[in-house]
Amino acid sequence: MRLRPRGQAQNGQTRAGFSAYRRFSTRSSLLAVSLLALAGCSSIRTPPPKDPDALAEYKQANDPYEPLNRKVYNLTMTFDKWALRPVAKAYVWAVPRPVRNSLGNMITTMNEPSVFFNDVGAGKPRRAGDAFVRWCINMSVGLGGLIDVAKMAGYPHHDNDGGMTLANWGIPSGPYLFLPMGPSSIRDGIGYGIDQGLSPWNYVPRGYGLISFNWAYNMMGIVHGRSEHLDELDALQRDALDPYATIRSAYQQQRKAQIEAIKNDHRATVPLWYHVKNKQQG
Amino acid sequence: MTFLSGRRFLLGAFAMVCAGSLSILPAHAAQNTRLFIQDFGNKLVAIVNSPVSLSEKKERVMPLIQQNVDIDGIGRYCLGRYWKAATPAQQKEYLGLFHQVLVNAITDKLGDYRGVSFTIGNVTKSGEDDAVEATLLRPQQPPATMQWIVNNSSKVVDVIGEGASLRLTQRQDYSSYIARNGGSVDALIGALKRQIAHHTTAATQQ
Repeated sequence: MRLRPRGQAQNGQTRAGFSAYRRFSTRSSLLAVSLLALAGCSSIRTPPPKDPDALAEYKQANDPYEPLNRKVYNLTMTFDKWALRPVAKAYVWAVPRPVRNSLGNMITTMNEPSVFFNDVGAGKPRRAGDAFVRWCINMSVGLGGLIDVAKMAGYPHHDNDGGMTLANWGIPSGPYLFLPMGPSSIRDGIGYGIDQGLSPWNYVPRGYGLISFNWAYNMMGIVHGRSEHLDELDALQRDALDPYATIRSAYQQQRKAQIEAIKNDHRATVPLWYHVKNKQQG
Repeated sequence: MTFLSGRRFLLGAFAMVCAGSLSILPAHAAQNTRLFIQDFGNKLVAIVNSPVSLSEKKERVMPLIQQNVDIDGIGRYCLGRYWKAATPAQQKEYLGLFHQVLVNAITDKLGDYRGVSFTIGNVTKSGEDDAVEATLLRPQQPPATMQWIVNNSSKVVDVIGEGASLRLTQRQDYSSYIARNGGSVDALIGALKRQIAHHTTAATQQ
C-alpha cells in the first residue's frame, strides 16, 4: 500500500466503482424504460390479423411487439454501422488471425463457469462435467484460456446459456424481442440476466485491476464476437429484402435447434476419442 | 426328388430375393440420396477447387445447379401464402427472377472458397424428404456442418445450416417484405428486379 500514493489508489477505486455503477444504472434504466414501454403503450404491439393465413404467419413469426422491436433494431444497427462494425473491422485488420483465435479461446474459456452452472441447472451433469474439465485444463495448461488444450484432449466446447436452461425446464420462449445486444425473446432475455448473475467475473472485488480486466474482457468479447460475423452480417444486409425479418427467422430457428440438441444430448463422461475408438471397434 | 428340391430351392431363393429387396428398399433409397449428394458435391467441389477464373467457374456451376436443385419448388415455397394470391403472369415473372437471385447467391459464394473438401454423414428422413448431413472442410476455418434436404425426384430443395432452413428464412423474409408493402406481390417483384440490377452493376464494376 505504501508503495502507491494513497490518493491515486483511492482515485482508481472510485473511478472503477463509478464505472461499475454507471454500467449497472444504464442497464437497469434500459430495462425500466423497456418495461414501462411494454406495459403502458399499445402502439408498440401489432394486433393479431383477422385473415386466417395472415394469422398463421403472425403466429409463426411470434413477434407481437414488432413495432417496438423494429425501433430497437434500427437504433442497434445505426450504432453498429458507425461504431461497432468499424471497430471490429479495425480489429481484424490490426490483429493477426492466430492471436484473434487465442483471444476467442480465452473468451470462451472465461465463459465456461456460466456454461457449467447452466448445465447443472438443465440437469445435464455430464455436460457440466465437460465444462468443468474444460475450465480446469484451459485455465492451467491452456495459459488462462489462450490455448484450447481441452479440445485437443477430446473435450470440445459446447454452448449453454440461461435461456436454454429455462427452455429445458419446459418454459416457452414467449414473444420475440430485439434487445440492444441482439435478437432475443422474453425467455432468452431473462436467461441473459441469469447468465450475468452466474458469471464469476461480475463478482470480482475492487482493486488489483480486476474491474478494469473485467471491462476489457467484456469489451473484447463484444468486438471479437462482432468480428466473427462481419461477412455474414454484411451479406445478410445486402441480400435480404427485410433484414429484420431474416434475422428474426434465423434466430428463432437456430435457438430451437440448439435447445433440441441439448435435450437429445445424452453424452457419457468420457472424452470424445473414447467414443470414436468404441465406434471403430463395434 | 432332385427336381422337387430344385424347385424348392428356386422358390426359396425367389422368396428370399423378394424379402431381401423389400427390407433393403428404404435403405436403398437412402443410399441413392447419399450417392446423389456425393456426386453433386464432388462436381461442385471440383469446380470450386479448379484453377480457372471466377467467371468461368460461375458458368460451369450454373447448369449443375439448374439440373440438381428444384429452383421452381423452392421459389413457390418462398412465396408462401402469396403464391395463391399472385396472378399466373406474376408467378411466372417471380419464378424467373427467383432463378436469377438464387443462382447469383450461390455463385457469389464460389470466390470465397479454395481447397475445400467435404464428408457425408448420416442420411435421415425429414418428413417425405431425405436429409443428408454433410460437413464442409475449409482451410484454416472450423468445419461447417449442414443438412441437404433432397426430395423424391432427387433434387435439392433446402439446405439447413446451424439449425436454420434457408428456404424458410427466405420465405419469412419475403412474406414480411410483402406484408409491409401492402400485401402486393408486385412490390416483391420490383425489389427482386432492383436486387438483380444492383448485383449486375456490382459484378461489372469488379
